[in-house]
Amino acid sequence: MNQRTVVPGSEKVRELGISGRKFSIPLPLLPFFIFVGYFLAWPITKVFIASLKSNDNKWTLSNYGPLLHGVYLHSFIVSIKIGLITALLGSIFGGLFAFVIDSYAGPRLTSVLDSISAVFANSGGVPLAFTFLASFGANAGLIKLLKRWGWDLYAEGFSIFSFTGICLVYIFFQAPLMVLVFKPALKGLRKEWREASTSLGGSNAMYLRKIAIPILFPSFVGSFLLLFAGGFSAFATASALTVGNVPLIPLVIGNLINGNVISNKTHLGASLAIGAIVIAFFAMSGYVWAQRKSTQWRK
Amino acid sequence: MKINLTKYSLVGIATLLALIIFVVPYSASIEYSLRGDFGKGHNLTNYYWFIHQDGFLSHLSLSLELGLLAGILNLLLMVPTATMLHLSLQRYKPIVDFICILPLMIPVVSLAVGAEYSMPSFIQNSQFELVFFFVILALPFTFRVLDSALSAVPLKTLVEASRSLGASWPSTIIRVVLPAARGGISSAFFLSFALGIGEYTMTSLLHWETFTTWTVVISQQNLLGSIALSTFSFLFAVALLVVIAIATSRRKIRKNSEIQLVEETV
Amino acid sequence: MSKGSELVITGISRSFGAVRALDQFSLTITPGELVCLLGPSGCGKTTALRIVAGLEKADSGSVFLDGEDLLAKDAAQRDIGMVFQSYSLFPNMTVAENISYGLKVRKNSKQKISQRVDEMLELVSLQSKINNFPHQLSGGQQQRVALARALAIEPRVLLLDEPLSALDAQVRTQIRDEIRRIQLESGTTTLFVTHDQEEAMAISDRVGVMQHGRLEQIDSPNTLYNKPATTFVAGFVGITNYIPSVVESKGEVQVLGQLLDISEHSQAVKKGEEVRAMVRPESIQIEKASHGPTVITKSFLGPMTRIGIDAGLKDLIYAELSSKDAKKFEMGDHVTVTIKTDSVMVSHA
Repeated sequence: MNQRTVVPGSEKVRELGISGRKFSIPLPLLPFFIFVGYFLAWPITKVFIASLKSNDNKWTLSNYGPLLHGVYLHSFIVSIKIGLITALLGSIFGGLFAFVIDSYAGPRLTSVLDSISAVFANSGGVPLAFTFLASFGANAGLIKLLKRWGWDLYAEGFSIFSFTGICLVYIFFQAPLMVLVFKPALKGLRKEWREASTSLGGSNAMYLRKIAIPILFPSFVGSFLLLFAGGFSAFATASALTVGNVPLIPLVIGNLINGNVISNKTHLGASLAIGAIVIAFFAMSGYVWAQRKSTQWRK
Repeated sequence: MKINLTKYSLVGIATLLALIIFVVPYSASIEYSLRGDFGKGHNLTNYYWFIHQDGFLSHLSLSLELGLLAGILNLLLMVPTATMLHLSLQRYKPIVDFICILPLMIPVVSLAVGAEYSMPSFIQNSQFELVFFFVILALPFTFRVLDSALSAVPLKTLVEASRSLGASWPSTIIRVVLPAARGGISSAFFLSFALGIGEYTMTSLLHWETFTTWTVVISQQNLLGSIALSTFSFLFAVALLVVIAIATSRRKIRKNSEIQLVEETV
Repeated sequence: MSKGSELVITGISRSFGAVRALDQFSLTITPGELVCLLGPSGCGKTTALRIVAGLEKADSGSVFLDGEDLLAKDAAQRDIGMVFQSYSLFPNMTVAENISYGLKVRKNSKQKISQRVDEMLELVSLQSKINNFPHQLSGGQQQRVALARALAIEPRVLLLDEPLSALDAQVRTQIRDEIRRIQLESGTTTLFVTHDQEEAMAISDRVGVMQHGRLEQIDSPNTLYNKPATTFVAGFVGITNYIPSVVESKGEVQVLGQLLDISEHSQAVKKGEEVRAMVRPESIQIEKASHGPTVITKSFLGPMTRIGIDAGLKDLIYAELSSKDAKKFEMGDHVTVTIKTDSVMVSHA
């Protein structure tokens, strides 16, 4: 037997690798951990350190000050708002659609819709922004059509280059993402529960109220949080759609490290980046917690 | 009978509504992209203009190259890792699972900032630094896909059977493990490839010019042309994902019918 | 507890596309009786059960419970109790909450509900688990709770859809006896569906054997076993030897050198035709001999032993004797094989 390789389930695994005091990494997993360590953990650590340093390289918390008021706080709030609104609308529409499809659609239609959802959910970014420019921009066919019918959206102050515009665009991938992420939870609702409830005399409303909704709730919240994190952190679509008029954190950070502003603000970019990580991290932890909660009733 | 009607109409209405809502903007953009000069008539001028721009081919091939490399690197890294996790190192699975969720938790912007701060200059000066980060960004999806593909077969049993029949490790991996995870491997590759060619955030923040960022630059000159392009890239992405979907579902259908056959004989 | 109800099912037919799941299915269950529907997958037994439950629609036919037209009612209004194969307990509710679900629907008072829950838990001997969640219970315990939940509402009919199929073998025997005991105690009319013939025979008042959507025979277990009405029933219930034989004349068949009558429920056969004679293991008698058929296997089954004999045929012939008598025979011994009955059922080869 080849001594270099791993014998399933044996102690040899631990010997061939790096051992710390309490934690050892077996040899086969080393490449993964090294890669992730260098290209994920290390950059984030560096940002964190940079956020705690001032321009003359001394430890300081001053970079975090600006986050708590003024322009930067406002950007955080706007980003959070966009995240919350698009997540809410996306999860409601996506959730309802997923529910209808799951309950009533046949298997072929379901798999077609699944693939379509996957496509739309991943269609964010620049192409999506351009698509919306084409459909809702000032020269778009749709806008012109509506104008002909007497409804001049742009005269009423609508613009694709606005908060509302961004929300509209974001929902385009949030809702399909919700369908993708929430579907498995819906599938987890066993039909025996519904049938048992019916056989015991329970109405549809009772089943929903006492069984379906309580069971689905953690997954719904988790999916919502996932959508929020995505909406909050989205960069590409926003940068293609705004001309600097909507202050979103990802864009602000981008500007700072692009050197568009004076260089003594770069450490500020680091602290903003950490701030963004913290927010997204909380949301995703909520997602992980919710996922675990949703399977707690399964053995 | 009455119940059936409401069922079908509900599904029908929902699907129709959704389709309208989603198809309208895309058809609008297709229409937009086909507009002729000065908004008169419809033709393919925008597409022509676009393809004939300086840098179309070079940027397109760059993106394809980066995507390809990202896909390959991802497989090289994750297939052995996922396999080992399934075979003998299950207790490390929760840790790896968590690590693979991290790229979703950490905004790409922040990671880009980190890249600027941490990568040594020899990496920062090469556009291939993007490949490494594409792999990181694709981790959540590729790991999940590989993981479920490997879970779908009794991998440990198959490997033990192969080893007990005398096959060497390399032989076992090539002849037993890889075919078993075939679906997951191709999905993982396509996912990282798709992510690589479509990635914008990292690329633009690290000041590289790939196809995606180049099109935004071009859009300053000719909006119509860029819209043509984005329509084109969207349709391409659709085709790609549809191919993946068909490939994976056919396998699922075949597997299901095999299971049914077994059940019937039992 | 609940007085037994009479369930009259008449002429139920149901098709799914081209497949005829039920074909003019009729059955009358007398008050307090436990009837089992037995058959292979796809025979229609589950469909019949679900039509009575209201979870499936019938294309034609009628179901009357104590004279009331059941099919005219919604599933939720039918006053039935149902136990499913698995996973039917509400996972987000405790055992007590599960059991009280039906009672809450009927708007019983809190006190009455609590009292009833205690009664039911005592009935299934699970008092200690009252506040546990389903995922904390074993499979057998879950099914007992499911039974308690179904019975809590004092249903007029109890329907069980293969409730034991998902359980371990040993647990299965325990729970099925529990089910029978509880059913007798409460006097509830019960319809039980299973593909396990041993289960069906062990606890039922009557067993209905089904195939291809039709009821082939419905009788007491004893009658079903000893007087099967068709070759399918004979082969499905209990163990049977299929011995290649030749039809000697109209009404007689040559089996292993013996001339036996052909029983009247056999398939129609012609003189000279090669057929299979169906003989139960306990009807096979063996004596030690100096040459001839050989003992190949001996399977100890507790009080009985099954001996497999090679008589030069494609399959072994199985004889079943008391273990005491079986001690005489060793592997490799030669034996004579005699069939103890006068008539046998035959089917086409």
